[in-house]
Order: sequence, then C-alpha cells, then structure tokens
Amino acid sequence: MIEIKKLTCKYQNEVILQDIDLDIDTHLSIIGSNGSGKSTFAKALCGLIDFGGEISIDSKNINSLRHIERAKLISYIPAKLEIYDSHVSVYEFVLLSRFAYKRDLFDYTQEDKEKTLKNIEFVGLAHLKEHTVGSLSSGEQQLCLIASALTQESKIIIFDEPTANLDPQNTKRVASIVKELKNSRQIILITHDLHLACYMDNKNIFIQKRSVKKFGRELFDNEVLKGLFGVEFNSLAVVYE
Amino acid sequence: MNKFIIWIFLIIVILVSPFIGAVDLHLSDIFDASNLANSIFFDIRLPRVLFAFFAGAILAVSGLLFQTLFRNALMTPYTLGISSGAVLGAGIAIKLGISTLIFGIFGISFFGFLGSLLTLVLLIYLARFLKNSHQESLLLLGIALSLFYTSLLMVIFYLGSAVQNDMLLRFTMGSLSIIGWEYPIFISVVAFLLILIIYMYRFELQLLSISDEGAKLRGVDTKRVTLILLAFSSFCVGILVSISGPVGFVGLVVPHIVAKIYPQSVNRRILKTAVFGGGFLLFCDTLTRAVSTQSELPIGIITALIGGPFFIYLIISRSKK
Repeated sequence: MIEIKKLTCKYQNEVILQDIDLDIDTHLSIIGSNGSGKSTFAKALCGLIDFGGEISIDSKNINSLRHIERAKLISYIPAKLEIYDSHVSVYEFVLLSRFAYKRDLFDYTQEDKEKTLKNIEFVGLAHLKEHTVGSLSSGEQQLCLIASALTQESKIIIFDEPTANLDPQNTKRVASIVKELKNSRQIILITHDLHLACYMDNKNIFIQKRSVKKFGRELFDNEVLKGLFGVEFNSLAVVYE
Repeated sequence: MNKFIIWIFLIIVILVSPFIGAVDLHLSDIFDASNLANSIFFDIRLPRVLFAFFAGAILAVSGLLFQTLFRNALMTPYTLGISSGAVLGAGIAIKLGISTLIFGIFGISFFGFLGSLLTLVLLIYLARFLKNSHQESLLLLGIALSLFYTSLLMVIFYLGSAVQNDMLLRFTMGSLSIIGWEYPIFISVVAFLLILIIYMYRFELQLLSISDEGAKLRGVDTKRVTLILLAFSSFCVGILVSISGPVGFVGLVVPHIVAKIYPQSVNRRILKTAVFGGGFLLFCDTLTRAVSTQSELPIGIITALIGGPFFIYLIISRSKK
C-alpha cells in the first residue's frame, strides 16, 4: 500500500507535479504524454529524487527508511539500461540485486545465487548468463533488468516504459512477463503505449498538467482517449494475447 | 597468451630492477656482507623496489576507484588536482620548515595529506554548483584547481630560500629515490589498508560501477560509500605524493590497460590493477636508472612521457563513442 500526500516535484525550478494525493493499493498503470511527469512520479516513489509532501509504503515514510529497507520494498526498472562498467556479466548483474539481503562480508549466499539463476532462467537468458551486460541487445537488457528486479524480491516493481525500445517480438515477450508478475508482485507500469496499458488491465491514472486523474477500464473508450490526448482513436486492439 | 607474456614481463621487471642502476651489482657480491654491493642492494635498491611497487599500486587502484565512482574514464586523483593539492601542502610545509612529527606522521606528509583532503572537500563543494553534464565540468574544475595550485607554488618558490627551492623543485618532479626501509614499509601498509578497504566495499563498488541510481535502488547508501572511498583513497594518494612528489598518469593508464586485458567486472580487477600498477611504476623507475648514468631522470617525467600521449588517445577514443 502506497500513500501519497501532497506530492510536489520540481525539475530545474519548473513544477512537474503539484499537490498530488493518491493511494495505490493494487496494480496501477500510469499513463501520460511525453514529458508529463510519469518518470518523475516513479522516481519520487523510489526516493531517487527530492520532493515535497510525503510518500509512505506500508505506513513507512520512504525518506526515513534505510536504503536496504527501501530496496526490499520497491524496485524500479528504467526504460533503458544505463551502465558504466559494461564488463559486468548477466549473472553478476542479477546477483547484485541481492545486496539488500547480504549479511556476509565475503560473498553472497548459496540461496542468493540459486535465486539469481532461477530468475535468469525465468526470463529466458540462461544461455547468456556469462555474457557481459554490454554485449546484450536492448530486448535482452530489458529481460536482464526484469530478472534483476525479481531477484531483489521487492513487494512493488515499477516498470518505466518497459517496451519503449523493443521490437514487436520482444515487446510481446516482456509484456507477457510483466502481466504474469501481477500474480506475485504489486506492479506499477509507466507507459504511453495504450495497447500495453489496455492489455495489463490495471487501474489507471492519467498524468497531465501537474495533476492526476483516475480511471478504470473506461479510459480505453475512444471518446475518453480523444478528450485526453486530443487525437482520434480507433478501437484499441488487444495485440499481445 | 598475451596475459602470459605480460605476467612474465612483470616478474622479470621485479627480479631485474634491483640490479639496475649507477653501480652494477653481481649476484655473488650481494650476500657478502663486507662488500659494498651488499649494502647498496639491501639498503637502497630493495627498499626502493618495494617503495615503487606499492606506490604504483596505490596510484593505480586510486585511479580505478575514481574512474569507477565518477563513472568517467579520465578521472584520477591526478587529473582532479588532488595530487597537486598534496604538492602544495608539502610545499607549504617545506617553506614553513615543518619537519617534525604531527600526530605521529611526518610533517611534510601531514601537510600533503591536508592539501589533498582540502582539494577533495573543495571539489565536492564546487560540484554542487554544477548543473548539467557535471562530470566533464568537474574534470575542468580539477584542472583549474591544479593550475591555481601551480601558481601558488610559484609564489612559494619566489619567497623561498635556495635550499628550500632546491628541495621543492626536486619534489615537484617526483622521485622514488629513498634510502632505508621506513618509507617502503610505511607505504606498503598504506597500500594494504587501501586495498583492504576497497575489498570491504567491493560489492558496493560493483553496484556503483553500474550507475549511481542503480546502486541506490539496490540498497547502497551511495553518498556515504562514495565519500568514504574517495576520502580514503585521497588520503592514501596524499600521503604517497607528499613523500614521492607528484607521479602522474599511473592512475590513468594502468586501470585502462588492465580492463583491456581482463574485461571483467570492477571487483575482480582491484588486485590485478594493484599488481599491474606496481609493475608499471617499477618498470618506469627502473628506466629512470637505466637511461642515464650521470644522474637519475625524475620518475614523474617518465610516467608523463608515457601517460601524456595515452591521455590524448583516451580523449580521442572517447569522443568517437
């Protein structure tokens, strides 16, 4: 359960989000145009940026949580993997997500390693586990990030445009994995891909002009979408099934 | 195969280095206590080899640390002005004639350390005013600070006596010619401590080598860890530079070579970088003794002759990406 009270975010002195009150108790899709503040919202949830107001997860204020405690509650998967040291292998990269659970000074436990391998297998990268992360395609990198978030075992996972850089085949694969994860985690999906949002069938919020509007399934009505985006829509086909 | 050749070369450098210098030493004379060769070998050459090796290890590992923590291939204590800060600190100590012990540390070293630490604090403070693309700006800040320090050092030169200036001039060119075992032992302890603390934080370092955000999301207190590692390695470099003078480019060149030979994650390159750094500086130091018979070339000149072109190569290869 995420409780947001009077959330205000600024980016270079410009107000992006203002006085947002919102409770997130289930899976949620955050929809909005480019630059509407979707990612800013997500980064605030993870405590990555400074913000005004208060965000608590399971009644714990995220700014007063220790880093490792926060990592156990919430993880964030960026649209694109940015990595400085591209020599890290897929296995090492995913294993690092166990950091919040690490007690041993010397190494990760056998359990950590088993969970890592299991999740690499789950996303279908077992054959690439010794390859460096830098050598993967964008689709494989996205899958690697998903394996990493799964291994982190946080209650909530935020996906930030998970399919933005992917071809149709990988889009379908990632979309179905994200949907499957709804059974075990609380998913927050940020996207401007309406097909994906429709397929996920979450509660929706639409971010526009510093504020949020809540929607259910009715968001995908052509007239509603036209009102929000200002362009004509034909019926959204559910393309991922 | 390449790796094998490099390791063999390293071992040869370590074994041959103590025999090269103004006086030719023969293996048979070394163990004869009445022979001069014995004291040259054990009191001058061997300590110096040890000193050069651990100095190289400190410089290379600090370079690796700076590059990883700033996620920028050009960041080293040298390019950021932290070495220059130590030189200025040591220069002030020489000018003020401070040669006593302060908190159990040699006065000049203590001032060198202060200089490097103050530079780090200054850099962190100034970095807060940088907005976008602050990595490159930070590098420019470091270079600007170095230039500023050089002019302050010139003021000290201008005010200094002939004896002080001679001491200072030799110091600014960098030299590993030490006598006796005190400095080598001291520096090897510093090197071990530096490697130990990096080893303790190696998982945090590995996470930070991905990205600051990525490390934070996985539970690393990035500000605290970055500060601890930067402060401690600046401390070590500061201490080293206040003894040896500035020895540039080791921290820039060696981590890149090691990453090329061993394309592995950063935590698996720490020890290799230390050993290669030690070998590289030892090789350069052996050159200073081998090249000239009249007097030794300052070590800073040799490393800069190798490192300068490498620096240019790095800048050009980065701009192609």
